[in-house]
Amino acid sequence: MSLFRSRPMKHYNLVVPRESAWSVMDRLGYLDQLHFVDYDATIPMINRPFANYVKRCDDSLYKITQVETFITKFNKKVIRCTNVPLLLEQFTRNLQSRDKAPHTFFDEIEQDIEQKRISLMDLINNFENLEEKLQNYNEQLQVLKSCQRFIFQGFRESADQIEDRSQPGRMKLNNIIGVIDKDDEIRFRRLIFRVTKGNIWLDIFDLDPNDALQKKLDNNVLRAIFVIVYPGIEEQSLIKLKLGRIVDTFSKTKFDLPKATGEYQKKILDIENVIMETRNLIALSRQQIESQIEQLIIKSVTECSLIEELRLYVVREKYLYQNLNFLRMQGSIFSGHFWLPEGEFDNVEQALRNLNSKQDFIPTGQITEVVLPKHMKPPTYFKLNIFTGVFQEIVNTYGIPRYQEVNPALFAIITFPFIFGVMFADIAHGFLMFLCGMYVIIFHKTEAPDSLFKMLAPGRYLIALMGFFAFYNGFIYNDFLSIPLNLFGSCYDLVEKVVDGKTEEKWEGPREGCVYPFGLDPVWLASSTALTFINSYKMKLSVIIGVAHMLVGILMKGVNSLFFKNYIDFFCEFIPQFLFMICAFGWMDFMIIFKWLTSFTPQDAPGLIPTMIDQTLSPLAEPKAPLFEDPIQQRNWSFMLLCIAFVCVPWMLWPKVFLLSKKSKPYDKVDDIDEERLQQDQHKLFGKSEIDLDENQEINRLLIKHHSGHSVQSSANHEEHDFSELFVHQIIETIEFVLGGISNTASYLRLWALSLAHGQLAEVFYNMFLAGNIGTGGVVAGFMTAIFYYTFAMMTFGVLMVMDSMECFLHALRLHWVEFQNKFFKADGYLFVNFSYQKALTESAQQEQ
Amino acid sequence: MDLCYFAVDDGYAEAIIRGLRAGFLNEAQYTQMKSCTSIPELKSFLEETDYQNCLQADQPQIATSLLRQRLKKKLADEFDYIEAQATGTLSKFLFHLRCRFMIDNVVNMIEGLKNKIDIEVLLSNIDPLGWFPEIKNIKVLEGDDYANLYRDVLIDTPIGVYFMKFLDESIENMHENRTMNDIQNLFKEMKPEYIRTSLKKMWLEDFFRYSEENLPQTSKEGLVSLLKFEADFRTIQVIYNSIGNRDLNTVARIQTTRKQLCPTIGTLYPDCERQYLAAAQLEALREAVKGTENYRDLLKDAPDPLKREEFNVSTRTLDDIMYDEECRRYALAFDGQGSYAVFYAYLKLKEQEIRNIVWLAEMISRRLAKNHPGWKKIIIPFSHLRK
Repeated sequence: MSLFRSRPMKHYNLVVPRESAWSVMDRLGYLDQLHFVDYDATIPMINRPFANYVKRCDDSLYKITQVETFITKFNKKVIRCTNVPLLLEQFTRNLQSRDKAPHTFFDEIEQDIEQKRISLMDLINNFENLEEKLQNYNEQLQVLKSCQRFIFQGFRESADQIEDRSQPGRMKLNNIIGVIDKDDEIRFRRLIFRVTKGNIWLDIFDLDPNDALQKKLDNNVLRAIFVIVYPGIEEQSLIKLKLGRIVDTFSKTKFDLPKATGEYQKKILDIENVIMETRNLIALSRQQIESQIEQLIIKSVTECSLIEELRLYVVREKYLYQNLNFLRMQGSIFSGHFWLPEGEFDNVEQALRNLNSKQDFIPTGQITEVVLPKHMKPPTYFKLNIFTGVFQEIVNTYGIPRYQEVNPALFAIITFPFIFGVMFADIAHGFLMFLCGMYVIIFHKTEAPDSLFKMLAPGRYLIALMGFFAFYNGFIYNDFLSIPLNLFGSCYDLVEKVVDGKTEEKWEGPREGCVYPFGLDPVWLASSTALTFINSYKMKLSVIIGVAHMLVGILMKGVNSLFFKNYIDFFCEFIPQFLFMICAFGWMDFMIIFKWLTSFTPQDAPGLIPTMIDQTLSPLAEPKAPLFEDPIQQRNWSFMLLCIAFVCVPWMLWPKVFLLSKKSKPYDKVDDIDEERLQQDQHKLFGKSEIDLDENQEINRLLIKHHSGHSVQSSANHEEHDFSELFVHQIIETIEFVLGGISNTASYLRLWALSLAHGQLAEVFYNMFLAGNIGTGGVVAGFMTAIFYYTFAMMTFGVLMVMDSMECFLHALRLHWVEFQNKFFKADGYLFVNFSYQKALTESAQQEQ
Repeated sequence: MDLCYFAVDDGYAEAIIRGLRAGFLNEAQYTQMKSCTSIPELKSFLEETDYQNCLQADQPQIATSLLRQRLKKKLADEFDYIEAQATGTLSKFLFHLRCRFMIDNVVNMIEGLKNKIDIEVLLSNIDPLGWFPEIKNIKVLEGDDYANLYRDVLIDTPIGVYFMKFLDESIENMHENRTMNDIQNLFKEMKPEYIRTSLKKMWLEDFFRYSEENLPQTSKEGLVSLLKFEADFRTIQVIYNSIGNRDLNTVARIQTTRKQLCPTIGTLYPDCERQYLAAAQLEALREAVKGTENYRDLLKDAPDPLKREEFNVSTRTLDDIMYDEECRRYALAFDGQGSYAVFYAYLKLKEQEIRNIVWLAEMISRRLAKNHPGWKKIIIPFSHLRK
């Protein structure tokens, strides 16, 4: 019964010498069964013995991410790991094939990664430099070509004038040509204008963006050529200096135009040549990079890329060190505690012994069982599978079960889909949902990874079960898309009668001895009082289901208190609570069923609600419309049950408070004994280390203080305080239970309400879209029906199958979390986190995918 | 009323800010930082906090200036993100906040250029929060020709307005028959710090007016009270620092300078203006501001500026006292709801955190003893709320 209660845990102490700490932890990582306890969670990670290693692993991971970004930049894909066990095997093989100590393998890997990163980065830097250079040359070429087009004439003139300064009256011109970012153009224009006050000629035009080389590898920035022509050719003129400064702040690329025509052509040719060369170089270096990347991503024996293998090794290493950090360093040994499920000890021991025989030169760790310190609660561990996992998840979302307490997930496996089914009851809808669940169950492996069905995969069994129960309850309510099905032949007959000259059709029956075998007789649903009948029927069913559900919850409280040997709770809480529930609402259920099973004439039929009210308000009066044949008997019964229920209230309230406050007195004594025992245990364990002992004593002292409060100082005062606290607490508990009994029962009426809403919606869709159009006939009606059928199907899918199922799910969740679980579920446990490579690597690999 | 529809436009941005609240370092983390013995240790500690990603690519022995730059980059990234989510009034408001950093950047650039520091170094040191495209064009500045700098470069920028006002005021305050030369001289003598104070004063006044006129009611209330305090803080600082300042020895001069530097908003202006402008001693300053809130108490512990020579690291200076008070107010404002003051307070508190970290890094890199009073000189954001 591993799902009923969490697995029993044992607390062990692990002592390993420093030299073999790595190997021991490594071995334990394969076992998947240990939960390491952090010896002091307040110590920041940075102050722990292996913080440095964790940091190194992080660095390596960061480097790997860098390499991976390079890889994606070149449109290559890393093959992610899907077969973790195979990979782990490969790791072990790799480690065993080396003759050095296994923990040094990480050093090699670290260097390997660094070297790979650097070599790749060098190549890529080189590549990018080349591209930049190419871009630069290309810009130069474009500048030359476009400038040739329109200012060449003027330039030659100005060049001539340098030699001939004697000619007065002609403006002497100089120029600056360069390339800037297109985005800067307006600012550039404005600045130039403001500085020169418009005394220059400036033209800016775009570089051809369609030029293949214009596109840079990563950023596709538009560039533009500017040409400034300004007066004055002196080297030191103010305007030249100013312009120079401005141009410097905008771009680093300025070009000088050759002065003579011949040079011009030659330069263009030169640059074209250089561009050709650079292109070849780029192609070459691209090839080089790609071949390097190819090596990194090639699929190896472990069905994933080399780089992924490296990454997961580092992840593994980091995980190991993180867990090693939970141990405490004492000189040359590490000691720490871990939890282990009962019965697994032999496996662990065996594993360590194997390690010992393989490497006989180092001592391996020692494991001893430790008596559980009082303040420590063991973790909650269930062995789950894909089927139970989802139900456990529903419970865990509310709260992790306390160690070894009854796990509500076990009941949820049936009650959750069933309660959902009561609300979602419809043969067709339920069946569709069941089909959907079955589809995912069968095909979830072959679905595409981004398929919607894949998303449903974790809850596939839940969906199938919910569908099944909705289907089943649909039969009970006899509801098929709001149409009652006459599957077994109704017990009523349609009779034609002539009344006052008109023929009337009337249902007559039921036939003598005829019982509709399963679910509701369809004729009920066709009658004019269908809704009234159905409502009362569903309401009563909901209350019956609700009370049964809650009674199970209360019973589990009893089971829990017996299991934990908490007899005060058993006798002072469980029993009165159970009696109260039975006497108040059990009696109501009984009356409902009793009324169903007895036939009354319509006049005599007792109303259940008036009966309930009367028997509470005037318990001794004879019932007006008796349910039992003998009204006195009924009165006696109801009076007795009422009395029991009333007695239960103070029973819940008082005895527990008194017993507990009495019990709290001898606390100090108990703890003294405990302390002694604890100390003895610790002597055994930490015999050598005095410091440790002191610390433990400190903890014990604190604990005892905590338990006994400040009783030493003022015990009378303290007691009173304690008593009143207990009393207030118990009052709250009692009130909550009694009022909760009523309100929770009422809360189960949502089973009826949701089912009513579902049924009515289905009916509206059916009447609006289908029923009205089927009868018309003719070709037009055929078309109309096609269109309306489509609308009907979409509405049914969208509103009922998606939205309403969501709503029913939420209400089922609420009924479990609140109405059921508040009866017994403490939910203050914490999860068992096993130290498992398998888990760590799978998570990491999935995250990357 | 504006609370009802605050969340329509600004709810998301505010929610992000509330989320970022968790990123503030808490007191325990400060204690751990203080116990670090080396810069690499500090860095690896910071990598466990919210600052993880911004430091990962750097060497362990990170320089303090680079560290500051990285932290500021992170803040700027967060701010950019929030700004990208903001619409309408809020985005204008956030842009206004940026102007303060732009002023700092411009003045830093001017200062750097005057000291002939390489432009690349200067550009790498600018605060990313106050980056604007024209900043690199400041290189055009020649000598001390601020007028030209304004006309050529800054006129287009958001802070151009302040710069223009500053130039106008500087020239106005000169004697009647001024020449071009006088103006040149004036600028030559002007310290960049003076420019910074004046510009910031103008920004503050402008921002105050903007907040008063354009913001919804709740935001206005929150901000106006914060900004009033900031203005008063500035006033007190100016007066305090000018007490005993030898450069401003004549009474007339000290008054005009003070008048130019003190903001014309806040609770002290205009009621106490005459008194504080004339204050020649700390006592007189205390007397001048005694009528307002708890300023008297704040100033009570401030050391006498006339005995500046006696100050040492352990002295709790006026700035420390005021920062402490500011932090308290910002933390309170941060917890306010539906107000733009949250964004302002967030920025200020985050700045304080960066100052703290950089200060600690400085202390660590100088290997000062752990009982050195400097370790206590950090003001932890939100630590006031618990008292």
